[in-house]
Amino acid sequence: MIKRKNKSEDATGQRYTKGTFAIQAVMTVIGIAFLLPILIVFNYSFKTKRELYLTSALTLPSSLQMENYRKAFDKLNLSTTFFNTLLYTALSVAILAILCSITAWAIARCKTKFFKFCYIYFIIGILIPYQALFLPIYIIGYNFHLTNTRYGIIFMYVATGISFGVFLMTSFMSTVPLELEEAARIDGCSVFRTYFSVVLPLLRPAMATLIIMQSFQIWNDYLLASLYVSKKDLKTLTVVIQSLFSSQTSDYTTAMAAIVISVLPIAILFLSLQKYFIKGMTVGAVKG
Amino acid sequence: MGMERKKKSGMDRKMEIQYLMIVIPGFIIFTIGLIIPTLMAFRYSLTSWDGLTAEKPFVGIQNYINLLHDSNFMQAWVFTFKFTIANTIIQNVCALLLAIALDSGIKMQKAYRTVFFIPCLISSVIVGFIWLKMFSNVLPEFNEILGTNINFLLFGSSSTVLSGLLIANNWQWIGYWMLIYLAGLQSIPAELYEAAKVDGAGAFSRFLHVTIPMLAPSITICVVGITTGSLKVYDLLVSSTSGGPGRSSTSVILHTYNTAISGRQYGYGSAMSVSLVIVLLLVALIQVRSLKNREVQQ
Repeated sequence: MIKRKNKSEDATGQRYTKGTFAIQAVMTVIGIAFLLPILIVFNYSFKTKRELYLTSALTLPSSLQMENYRKAFDKLNLSTTFFNTLLYTALSVAILAILCSITAWAIARCKTKFFKFCYIYFIIGILIPYQALFLPIYIIGYNFHLTNTRYGIIFMYVATGISFGVFLMTSFMSTVPLELEEAARIDGCSVFRTYFSVVLPLLRPAMATLIIMQSFQIWNDYLLASLYVSKKDLKTLTVVIQSLFSSQTSDYTTAMAAIVISVLPIAILFLSLQKYFIKGMTVGAVKG
Repeated sequence: MGMERKKKSGMDRKMEIQYLMIVIPGFIIFTIGLIIPTLMAFRYSLTSWDGLTAEKPFVGIQNYINLLHDSNFMQAWVFTFKFTIANTIIQNVCALLLAIALDSGIKMQKAYRTVFFIPCLISSVIVGFIWLKMFSNVLPEFNEILGTNINFLLFGSSSTVLSGLLIANNWQWIGYWMLIYLAGLQSIPAELYEAAKVDGAGAFSRFLHVTIPMLAPSITICVVGITTGSLKVYDLLVSSTSGGPGRSSTSVILHTYNTAISGRQYGYGSAMSVSLVIVLLLVALIQVRSLKNREVQQ
């Protein structure tokens, strides 16, 4: 405690005064207000249907019963949809991590006009929102037989995420020392081998950032998933949860349990890798 | 010497080809997934295609002329602009205030940071549903406890639906932008504040003349990010208001979706998409340019 206090004193030149205490109090109130909806979701997810109608939203459930979670598993085909979401997210992000880093590396190392053009070409994608282009994206998916396939939606996630990935990776590339690459090349390594044995290991922090930023977006995506996948066995969590919202307005305790299940993985990922996440956001902030 | 150079440029060529092969896969995927759809949207917007027939009758700029006289489309733009302007102001101010409060030396800074940040990890579709239930079932309970009579059914009427959506959207995103401001604040050297103090500047003056100028890059990214993000609003509406009551909360993307996918007017819908892309590009360019100019001036 004392140590932290000293540290904050050093950083901002401020002591813990009455004013700071007032701020602390106000922030606590705001923090509770921010947490309230999340606590309510948890609370609902343990309530029985009876309790839902007879008790206030603010009272606690009588017991921690898992009935809603069991129902959520059945109704949402949850083992399949959870697996689908995980698969789409993991594969898209893995492909993005390799593809963006190797592309950014080539762009950073090769300074000819064509590669400069490539960089600008990729960056344009940050400015063109795929959300506005959902119609042609749907048509192109339909014509190329990408809709209702696993590889189709993964392809689209990669295509829409590549701009940001290349941008992020290119900005990290200056931290990779050229000497090591040159040494590898003198040893007779091909460009590919140089990348995988020398460059890739050095990019680990940047990769972590990219992986977290993209996985939280892909995991939460609704528009692309709802456009590309209509087969029951291929649907993602957000899509099935949304269908539960619209169809069963009366029994939403199940929906609340489903929300907890869908948010938990990404929350755990964030809490365990917070450092990289924040780094990624602030690097993104430089682009403006 | 000459031989060596020749050999070297030969090697460069070989390496360049290898680098080229590295770039090609990403280039192709990106072109198919984003660039071609952009061009397709432009092309379809000049036709009256219904999405079913093989032929796509060319109608020139007729779709765009119709758009200007389409009151539903204009209403969608009005809603989207209101939502965007309000969001940009509220979210920037609140995020900055929270960041400053967190940076003021309070204890457990990290815990607060996490609490404010968590909502943005939740999918917008789910956020919409959570707030639907908050307004209809949870918040009215507070009326009973506090003995007040506040109308919390914000999604129920067209005059309050915008405020309801703003609350939901701000709850979700304030923490995200706060984090960017916080990183910006923490990178301001403490000496600058000390120098201003020595010069006799008060707290407010220090904020105005040290904090704000030093935060200029963060302000740029937050303003542009919030504006472009709000113009694209769609997911949030799907599960909360579905564009209602009436058409009062129908955004441009939601209206385009209804027109193109549900109404089978691909040509007309494409014209809507193109107009949105153009507006988004313009807004981003204008904002980046004007905010960058300010950064330079300061």
